[in-house]
Amino acid sequence: MQANQVRQFVERYLATFSAHIVESHPDYLTVKLPVEVDKDIGNRPFYWSWVDKMNLAYQPLVLTFAFHPDRMPDGLRAEHLHLGAGRMQQIFASAKKHGQFVCMYEQNTASLPATGKRRSTPLVPWLGINLKVSFLCDKRRDLMLYLGVNLHQPRVVHDFSTYLFQLPLSPAIPDYFYTLDRKISVEDALQMARQEAEAVIAKEDQAWAAEAKARLAEELDILAAYYEELAKREPQAEQADADDEEAEKAEEPQAAQAIVPLPQTEAPPVAEPVVEATQTIDEYRSSGGRILDFLRANGIQVTPREEINQEEWKKSTPEEEKQRRMDELRWQYEPRIEVHFINGGLFYLHSNPPVQKLSGAKTVRHLPTNGRIM
Amino acid sequence: MPNVPVSFDTSWISPLTERLHEDGPWDKWELFKLALEAEEAMAVREFDSLQCLNYLPLLSPFPHQLQTAERVLNDMRGRAILADEVGLGKTIEAGLIMKEYMVRGLAKKILVLVPASLVIQWTKELQQKFGIPAVAQKKEYMWRQHEVVVASIDTAKRDPHRRHVLDIDYDMLIIDEAHKLKNKRTRNYQFVKEIRKKYCLLLTATPIQNEMDELYNLINLLKPGHLGHSTSFSTNYVEGKRQSKNSEKLREEIEKVMIRNKRSDGGIQFTSRRVQSIPIELTQEEMKLYEGVTRFVHDQYKTGTGLFNSLALITLQREVCSSKEASFMTLYNMHQRTSEESLLRAQILELVEMIKRIETHSKAAKTVELIQQINDKVIVFTEYRATQNYLQKYLHDHGITSVPFRGGFKRSKKDWMTDLFQNRAQVLIATEAGGEGINLQFCNQVINYDMPWNPMRVEQRIGRVHRLGQKRDVHIYNLSTVGTIEEHILKLLYEKIDLFEMVIGELDDIVERLNLSSSLEENLTQIIMDSASTREMALKLDNMGHAIRASRQPHVAPALSEAAEQ
Repeated sequence: MQANQVRQFVERYLATFSAHIVESHPDYLTVKLPVEVDKDIGNRPFYWSWVDKMNLAYQPLVLTFAFHPDRMPDGLRAEHLHLGAGRMQQIFASAKKHGQFVCMYEQNTASLPATGKRRSTPLVPWLGINLKVSFLCDKRRDLMLYLGVNLHQPRVVHDFSTYLFQLPLSPAIPDYFYTLDRKISVEDALQMARQEAEAVIAKEDQAWAAEAKARLAEELDILAAYYEELAKREPQAEQADADDEEAEKAEEPQAAQAIVPLPQTEAPPVAEPVVEATQTIDEYRSSGGRILDFLRANGIQVTPREEINQEEWKKSTPEEEKQRRMDELRWQYEPRIEVHFINGGLFYLHSNPPVQKLSGAKTVRHLPTNGRIM
Repeated sequence: MPNVPVSFDTSWISPLTERLHEDGPWDKWELFKLALEAEEAMAVREFDSLQCLNYLPLLSPFPHQLQTAERVLNDMRGRAILADEVGLGKTIEAGLIMKEYMVRGLAKKILVLVPASLVIQWTKELQQKFGIPAVAQKKEYMWRQHEVVVASIDTAKRDPHRRHVLDIDYDMLIIDEAHKLKNKRTRNYQFVKEIRKKYCLLLTATPIQNEMDELYNLINLLKPGHLGHSTSFSTNYVEGKRQSKNSEKLREEIEKVMIRNKRSDGGIQFTSRRVQSIPIELTQEEMKLYEGVTRFVHDQYKTGTGLFNSLALITLQREVCSSKEASFMTLYNMHQRTSEESLLRAQILELVEMIKRIETHSKAAKTVELIQQINDKVIVFTEYRATQNYLQKYLHDHGITSVPFRGGFKRSKKDWMTDLFQNRAQVLIATEAGGEGINLQFCNQVINYDMPWNPMRVEQRIGRVHRLGQKRDVHIYNLSTVGTIEEHILKLLYEKIDLFEMVIGELDDIVERLNLSSSLEENLTQIIMDSASTREMALKLDNMGHAIRASRQPHVAPALSEAAEQ
């Protein structure tokens, strides 16, 4: 993303929340953050839990974003906003959070016959889903899939979102239009989309996966051969190693060997950690919790003094080591494909998206490069 | 794609179905578009091209650094030894690789193990240069709680930290100064071997000059079995402890797992060094002191009551060349160790008297002159704390602002002093060991107030300013007191071996190959002490210089003269 694209993105994002722009200068932007934006990107979750609990009027955050590192405003505290900036990632996450599901209706266009009598025009229901397909091994590649499923006459089209962005859409149904029934359920539509996605995947170049698998097999072989040799040649060497370790231990400074003496009485009962399922630390903090409580509650125990034991040192056996290494290799190389849902929605259209043949879909579909969709 | 598992995200079905039933709540269309654009911006288009630069607008890596990153990602699949020569920016290379994996979502949980003295610096560099949310490990919970943790091996391998480190699956493990792990019998090595990791980078200074099995051990941490079993490795590749056979094949194998960029590779431009020798004429009193001390030192060495060892004696002699303050401190300490009424004590007191009679300070005066002439930022290096303190005062008295820099300073103080030097003071007065990890490229003038006897340390001093990123030629002024051992070492050794003109890292090579490093100072001490005459000393030093010169790589010499011509 270039600097101007970053700026446009940010301006549009803020506009959707009706943010008050305090100052707009060619090189920077000063804005008063609206509540939702503040909660998403303001980095002050404790402040918000306080304000919400106490029902207070809040003090808005005013931030200045600059888009060119060498053209920072004088006298103002500004932050450089770019693709890699932490704040930018937060803005992205916020947009994604608030832009998940939509329901839109195509508006009246000039293409419809202007008749004296107003007739009702049918709108076809479509399920639009935007997916990101990731091809993963120790490397990664992404493919964007914008699918549309016609819920009235079931079929799947590609580049649905690209097509949508050319249409005049609105969240309200226009006058003199009516919607057609859904002939298939959302679940069925999902199935169709899924099959389409899998078909696309099947047509993609497989070389990467084959290569990764070959590489994995090769590495596993080398590893297996190595450990076999090791087993043959080193049963005595193991003993020698153990002796060396003894000698080395004796040399190490006493401090490293200090064993904290166990208490004479029985150790106090260590409470079982209550592992709470899915709350992240951010969620916890934004609900006003303290970090230590969170840690204890989530099983990140601080090891009590009595349990610290410097002596305990069990070296892995070659077998264990080999297994671990093999697991690591699989973790690294094993090819897999993940399909993630980005966002989606229901679309009622009277226009028809073009049906493309599947064959072409090898390259990544890009949105128009000027950075604006509309 | 047959046999490649496909996982399909279905978490969105029920939220969507719910909204269909309730006809809402629906999100805004504009945000829907923005969300899609955001994903587009972050999508990884191709397997093999670097993305991280899009996220690092303020970083301008050098071509060799980018190439290294690409090789590690594409060819070495994320497991590699980075063994660039000193000054070529290994940390940047490691940061680029880390960032690339993070941007691709292939690495989240990362562990960086570095020497304790470098923990804070690594943390800061990762944060500031790469926008990576690294934290320096302090409390126990931090191992689990944070994604990118920087710590020292010594801490990590001990309980209660060990239990966490060995329990976590790290997407990436980075180890700095990995050459310290060359011995597989050490606890550190055993510990590192146990850590579970997907990608791994080992950063090291000079792996190949070391013993062959050291290299083998390092590679075993990374990709066990890649060079075969140790005995077959020995049979195939090792001639003697330091010699390799089947070099071609060995080199090929090693290149699969290790990257070593050299300065001489070309395309890497360093500015040049301009060295000047500044002789200091001592006043009569100063000379008397020097001669007195020299006599004392020789007597003690020869007749040897054994109270003072040769190292202490020669240190005294060198200190006299530095400043009377430094020698005073040593004499004082010696005085305390002698018994009342002894001849020794009397001799020492005599020398102290000579010190008292000196009113001038020729070297310091010359330094002030030089600094005023330079009229820019200067770093003054000295071996002795007493000299450092004295100089600060002396400079102050002559209206020159200066800040001290010592090894003993805590990290934050070092940063503060560097900051002051950059923004407020004209001069930085540094003793040894202040150097590790400090970046002073905004300065290009170095005064060696006195010379260390280990050429490696000379190299380190200069390396503080002469590194990749230094934009100007580096000017080096060597002060030496005329007619003293300081002059001898400078003229007969350092200048003979073109020490100051050597490229960074070249000396590393030579010293390792000739196995000089630990014994160089001892060698020099012996030569000085044992030589009956100056002539004998000159001869012996010359021989030493000869040996060093002979072992310099031939192809470097023409490159140097080219550089000198530019």
